[in-house]
Amino acid sequence: MLAKLRQRDYQILIAFIIVAAILAFWRPHVLISGLQRGSLYVLIALPVGIIYGILGILNLAHGEFMMLGAFFAFSLVTLTGIDPLIAMLPAFPAMFVVGIVTYRLTIKHVVRAPLNQFLLTFGLAVMLTEMANLIWTTRPRIVWVPYAASSATIGPITFGTFEFVYVAAAAIVLVGMFLFLTRTRAGLAAMAVGQNPRGAKLVGIDVERTYMMIFSACLAVLGPIGALFLIRHAIFPGVGGPFSLRAVSIVAMAGFGNLPGILVWGIGLGLAEAFVRSFRGWGGWADIIFFGMIILVVFYRSYQRRVR
Amino acid sequence: MKKGILLIAVALLLASSLVAVGCPRPVLEEPPVEPIRLGAVNPLGDITGRQSAQGMKLAVAEINAAGGILGRPLELIVMDDEFSPAVGAAAIEKLATVHEVDIFIGGMASGVHLAQIPILAKHGRVTVWIGAASHLVEAAIAALPDHDWYFHLHPWDYQQVEGTVEGWAAIVEKFPQIRLDRMFVAYEEGAFGAAGFAISRALFADVTIEGESFTSAVFGGGDFRAVLRHAKEFNPDAFVWVGFDPDALGMMVQAKEIGFAPPVFLGTPPGWPVGFGEIPLSEAVWLYGMWSPELKGVSPEAAHFWWAFIEKFGEEPATYFAPLGYVNVKFVAAGIERAGTLERGPLIEALREVRFEDTAVGWPLTIAPSRLIRHQGFTRQMILQWQGGRQEVIWPFEVATAEPIFPFPRWEDR
Repeated sequence: MLAKLRQRDYQILIAFIIVAAILAFWRPHVLISGLQRGSLYVLIALPVGIIYGILGILNLAHGEFMMLGAFFAFSLVTLTGIDPLIAMLPAFPAMFVVGIVTYRLTIKHVVRAPLNQFLLTFGLAVMLTEMANLIWTTRPRIVWVPYAASSATIGPITFGTFEFVYVAAAAIVLVGMFLFLTRTRAGLAAMAVGQNPRGAKLVGIDVERTYMMIFSACLAVLGPIGALFLIRHAIFPGVGGPFSLRAVSIVAMAGFGNLPGILVWGIGLGLAEAFVRSFRGWGGWADIIFFGMIILVVFYRSYQRRVR
Repeated sequence: MKKGILLIAVALLLASSLVAVGCPRPVLEEPPVEPIRLGAVNPLGDITGRQSAQGMKLAVAEINAAGGILGRPLELIVMDDEFSPAVGAAAIEKLATVHEVDIFIGGMASGVHLAQIPILAKHGRVTVWIGAASHLVEAAIAALPDHDWYFHLHPWDYQQVEGTVEGWAAIVEKFPQIRLDRMFVAYEEGAFGAAGFAISRALFADVTIEGESFTSAVFGGGDFRAVLRHAKEFNPDAFVWVGFDPDALGMMVQAKEIGFAPPVFLGTPPGWPVGFGEIPLSEAVWLYGMWSPELKGVSPEAAHFWWAFIEKFGEEPATYFAPLGYVNVKFVAAGIERAGTLERGPLIEALREVRFEDTAVGWPLTIAPSRLIRHQGFTRQMILQWQGGRQEVIWPFEVATAEPIFPFPRWEDR
């Protein structure tokens, strides 16, 4: 999988490092908030990349599953009084179970049917949103922990420090996924299934089970991610939708299945957004830049394929 | 054979006469009383619409328990508009033709109501609406050849801002330490925020106002740090954010982390997240509202509504649409009582004359013309402040529940 860090990604990575160095001197708060926000995007997009890379499914309900993880953590926090960071632990197995149930009831039947996958996962997104609406209503829910607003001051710059957790979490998830896929038997089997499911079946790998485990594991990761998200954000039934769109867009930009590319492009988009917003009156352009960059990259890829 | 039949007939006659002797005298059944039907359309999936419907049900239950109106019970039929103009318009049509309601009530979103207006106009039945604050709705109603049948209780958007301008002028006069010379408005980039900013600029004409848009958390935004930094650089007397409920936590947390604490910190979302008042960052945040739970301390009607609502539904009213729904039915009932009939002409006349010195939303209610329509109810909103987890009323002073906290306390003092 490391080989997937293509030469182009290295070039982009170097370009980002140069940009980051410039920003560190010119607009340091852009560097900080861009890195933090971009890491959140990476964190949410990584499981989308894995699911697509191995199962070939673009999960349009991804953000909604994160919302579910966040509500699970919220319920634990309010019912038991535990810290949201501790709620990350039970959120993982809980979402793993959600993953197994979802896979067996729905995803299993559309693994090789691309159009049906879109319709199914879109339907799941709507269903999860409405279900959350019935259970928790549309009123936003919040939890308060003092460390959510922690800050530090370096010279003239005062900035929030909690969101560096997103940076660390993105790194942990990325490295964890690499180690799982390259160092464990189950991960290697998953890689084999992702590359050639028929061949994998011939050598005795239980393809169906591998699909289920990968899908469930990726949803399980969304449990702790939801808990982390909850610490800084209000949650409500529709909170996940925009993140589904962003996650799928980042995965499309990185190239489907390219995990390091997700890291590079996720942080790159976070930095681009923060940079645009740092100019007063230009904040409204941030989304245009975000999705404009995606369109450009997709066009460029298409052009490259034609040239080849 | 004939003898046998005769014996059975005699036995039956005897038996029936015995039953008749042992039973009370048969009473002539009165024809069933036809209820007065109120048709409401609310977004029931949202707490505003749900609690508004609950407020209506509470009022109907109280009125029916007291004998109904004109000797007839009220019947409430509530339909869901799902925040969809098409669904909302169809709901009006169904209420008119299938349920044959006498009066239309309820309402929430302006976009939905704009689609309902032609259907309402077609049926021409008396309508008392409590939602749809947009001036575009007012213009659409005023454009009808006849709109005497239409009563609007919620203040129009421009009336809300006019009210706050009046309120701030009064506050600044009473508390001279509060200044409003420089204002920074952070507004969500959609129609709601942009309109709020434009109206603020027009009405606070003698205040230096700067503004910048942001992407609301509702639409996947929620990173307000750049806007807050710009506001901090502007060094305003008042910072106002015009956004949605989910933006509240992010706005406060991110303001704290960059050390931005202007003398007045004001938020104008349609509602607040559950538990917002309990977090220390909410202390001394100003807000606007049609109602506050704290009004139960100064308004007997608001207090009655508060406790009756909790008793009936086992939950607290969390949105001003709960008492507004209650007032909606009470207002209609008072009009029918006064008119003594459901005939359109006298009923409109009577509704025009209804006066409430106190209501469940804590305000008096009278009907007067607005800029474009003849029958407008409430015209102002209150200026409130989060204090100790409660939304205290600062203005109007006649229903004030607390003195303002000024300036906004430093973050490190919380």
